[in-house]
Formats: sequence, C-alpha cells, structure tokens
Amino acid sequence: MFVKVGSIIAAVLAWLGLSFLFPETILPGPFQTTMVLAENFANGEIFQHLFATLGRVLGGLALAMAIGIPVGVIMGVNRFAEKTLDIWVMVALTVPSLCYAIFAFIWIGLNETAAIVAIGLTSAPSIAINLWEGVKNIDTRLFKMAKVFNASRWVIIRRVLFPQVLPYIMASLRFGLGIVWKITVLVELLGRPDGVGFELFYWYQLADMQQVLAWTLLFTIVMLFIELVILQNMERKLFSWRPKVKI
Amino acid sequence: MDKGISIKGLVKEYPGHRQGERGHRVLNGLDLSIADNEFVCILGPSGCGKSTLLNTLSGLDNDYSGEVSFGGRPVGRNGKPPVKMGYLFQDPRLLPWLTAERNVDFVLENSDVPKARWAEIKNHYFALTGLEAFRHHYPHELSGGMAQRLSLVRALAIEPDVLFMDEPFSGLDELTARRMRVDLLDIWSRTGKTILFITHNSYEATFLADRVVVLSQGNIREEIRVEVPRPRDYDDPALFDISKQVSANFIAAAEEAERARLEQQAG
Ligand SMILES: Nc1ncnc2c1ncn2[C@@H]1O[C@H](COP(=O)(O)OP(=O)(O)OP(=O)(O)O)[C@@H](O)[C@H]1O
Ligand SMILES: [Mg+2]
Repeated sequence: MFVKVGSIIAAVLAWLGLSFLFPETILPGPFQTTMVLAENFANGEIFQHLFATLGRVLGGLALAMAIGIPVGVIMGVNRFAEKTLDIWVMVALTVPSLCYAIFAFIWIGLNETAAIVAIGLTSAPSIAINLWEGVKNIDTRLFKMAKVFNASRWVIIRRVLFPQVLPYIMASLRFGLGIVWKITVLVELLGRPDGVGFELFYWYQLADMQQVLAWTLLFTIVMLFIELVILQNMERKLFSWRPKVKI
Repeated sequence: MDKGISIKGLVKEYPGHRQGERGHRVLNGLDLSIADNEFVCILGPSGCGKSTLLNTLSGLDNDYSGEVSFGGRPVGRNGKPPVKMGYLFQDPRLLPWLTAERNVDFVLENSDVPKARWAEIKNHYFALTGLEAFRHHYPHELSGGMAQRLSLVRALAIEPDVLFMDEPFSGLDELTARRMRVDLLDIWSRTGKTILFITHNSYEATFLADRVVVLSQGNIREEIRVEVPRPRDYDDPALFDISKQVSANFIAAAEEAERARLEQQAG
C-alpha cells in the first residue's frame, strides 16, 4: 500500500517537474489541471458526461460478457466447438475496434444501441479467449469425485464446475473493463453527442490541453476506483479460499 | 442387506492412441467374489489395473464388458452400484474452495444421511483422524497427510455399505499410517462394510485383509487368505509370515509385468 501511494506521489511530482519545462498550452501542471477539474465539477455538466460514459461502459461490458462467457466456456469444454469457433474468435479479435464502431453506426444508426453493440462486439473476443484458456485448466478429477458421491448433474455444474470457472469470469471482468473503457471513449468521439470521449474530442479541437488533461484525469480516477476498490474487494471476498500469494 | 460384490469375466480395454493401433487390455477376464463385510486387499505392480478396477466397479467408467453385481443386484444402466459407496481416491480430491468441514458437508448433502446426524458423525470422524482443529481450514492449508485423512473422513461420513480405497495411506508417515490402519479396522468391525483396499505395501495388506488378491497382467495371480484372528496385533509374527508369502507373489507379479513389457518392446 505504501509503495503504491509512494509511486503515485512520485508520478505527480514528475508531472509537476515536466510541466515547468513546457508551456501551459502543451503540458499544464497538476495544480492547474485539478483546478480546471474542480471548475468543471462546480458548473455541474461533468456528471451528465461521466454517467453517459459509465452507462456505455457497463452496457458494453455486459454485452461483451454475455457473448464472451458462453462462447469461451463452450470452447473450453467441447472439442468440436473449439475447432469450429476457434477461427471466428481469431477473426473477430483481429478486426480493429474502429471498424466495429463504423459498422454499428452505419447499420444501426447514430444511437445508444449502436454504441453499446460496437463496444460489446469489440471486447467479446478477448473475453471469450480468456475464458476458453481458463476452462481448459479445470480439474476434471473433481467431477469424478462428485459423481462417485452421488451428486446430480445440476449439483456438479453448480457446485463443482461453477466455482472453478468463477475466477476466470472475474479475471475476464477486470480485463474486459480495461478494454471496454478505451473503446467507449473512441466510440463516443465517433458518434455520440455526450460522454467523456465526446468532451475529450471537443477540447482537442479547441486545442485546450488543460481541459483534455482534466477529463483524462477524471476518467482515469473513476476507472481506477472501480478496478482497485470495487473489483479487487469483490475478488478478495469471493476467493478467500485461495492460497495468498505474496508478490 | 447383502453388500457382497461379484465380478465375472471383467474385461477393460483402453483404445490405442493412434488410429489402427491395438487397444491396451488392462483387465483380462477378471473373476472375483467379495463376501458381505469382507475386507479384501488388492496388490499388484504399478500399472496392472488396480485403479481401473475400482473405476469400473464404482461406475466412473462403464465402458467395459463382463458382469458386476452388488448383493446379487446388477449395476444399473449408468453403471452405478445399487449400494451406498464411499471412495478414497489415490489423490485427496477435495474441493479447494470449501473448508474441511464443508467438504464433508458436500458429500453428506448428496447422501441419505439425515441432517440431524451430521454433527455427530463429523465430530466423531474429525476426532478420530485428529483433524478437529482443522475443520475450518481450506485444503491448501492442510498437509498432504491431513488432506488424505480428510478424504477418509469424507468417505466414511456417508456411512457407505461398500468402501473403495485406492492406496489411501501411501502418503502418510508410518506412524500415522499405523494408527489409521488400526482405526480403519475398528470402524470396519463396528459398522460393517465391504472394503476393497488397494495398496503396494504387502504388510499393510496382510494386517488389514481377510484376503489378499495379487493382480498380474490384468488377472488374479494369487489369493492369500489371512486366517489370523481379530483384533490383530500389528507386530504379530503370524502376520509377518503371511506377508512374506504376499510379498513373494507381488515381486513375481512385478517381474512378469517387466518381462511382458520387454517382450512387447521387442516385437
Ligand atoms: N484413461 C486411460 N486411457 C488409456 N490408458 C489408461 C487410462 N487409464 C489408465 N490407463 C492404463 O491402464 C493401465 C492401468 O492403469 P491403472 O491406473 O489402473 O494402474 P494401477 O494399477 O492403479 O497403477 P498404480 O499402482 O501406479 O496406481 C496403465 O497401463 C495405464 O497406462
Ligand atoms: Mg492406481
């Protein structure tokens, strides 16, 4: 914990040092950026954009998980599914996220659905691959144990398969979030009238680096909060049974 | 209820890996009758099909030919024995996300033991195996021997009629193993079950069993009755004499296996 805080302080100091070397229009310092961010908070518009983006992140993530988890699990447990789907997951992974966004906006229209579809489709293949790899590591000897002790198929799925898949679902949730929020910003600048991505693009066009940095900072803090506070605590609760690994 | 096991002409073949490769016949027309409440130990060189035999009897593997029945009733379509069975695997096979106690609850939930008796059963077996202090520990917090003892608790907790044990004590230190053997005989004499116990240790087999069966090449090489009255003394010289005979058979079986392997390699 001390190391983490220390390294954050070091990074802010480095930012501060660098900001003295460059003009304000190129690299504003941490104080100015924070001031701009505070002003943005004060005039209130910030929440509308932040919530719009968070909504898309959640919607896109939900869609990506809804597609990626079943595909990954089926590929992990079934040889035939693995062989047939393998190539398509690779293809889907290769297509650039910009293409998904363009296709979605042209085919579905410049609306919220299209944005979420674009975000979901872009991240689904990575999640599928994550789970597919994970499910291959499942300990099948435990199924035999459960079977010998009279467990029904449903009990085996719920109490022996699911707990083994859960760590991979959680890992793919975190990993998916990392991809999804980057794509969301891109999708927003391409075809949405609000959100953090839209704001970033707007201030970029006005060449206002203070605002660009203020929005970047805001978004990074929110995402780090979700990742470090919410998701890590969730994992800690769910997987308290695992041996603690000291790093 | 009769809990004996009858095995007639059991043949188990694993398919060859490549296409056209000949299958590997592990059990070769095995005939064996185990009486109600009998304690039978199975001995044989590594790879002779001991675990395979338990897999087929327990219904984990029902791709075999031959007849298996329990107390005169044949196994069902799914290969499941028509008796309550407990199984101690060669490895502990505990659910790593459940504590020791919850691991036992898991099998109790799938058994017909009334919930009112769970606490009493668990107390009893946890005390017997010296695991009381570890009830709330997760499997990764147990030593190998403790994990194996927990898997013994699990197998006994459901009060099985038939107990399959695959080298259950081989990972324990000799002192613990000795105590567990005595305890197992004690449990067996008080509760009454048919036990099929696999081991590589000829003295262990002799001490425990009514009958030691030595396997070789997928069939029975020799059956040795241990006519030593119970309760037995671990250091009884009579047991020692019989174990020498068991051991000689075991070594001969291992030599046969080695010879067969060399012959197969040669052509
Ligand atoms: N799933 C399988 N597929 C193919 N061959 C198998 C399989 N399981 C076991 N065998 C083969 O069957 C033979 C008997 O295996 P088994 O596990 O029954 O031996 P074992 O007598 O229990 O040996 P050990 O004392 O080492 O545990 C071995 O030659 C093994 O290679
Ligand atoms: Mg074995």
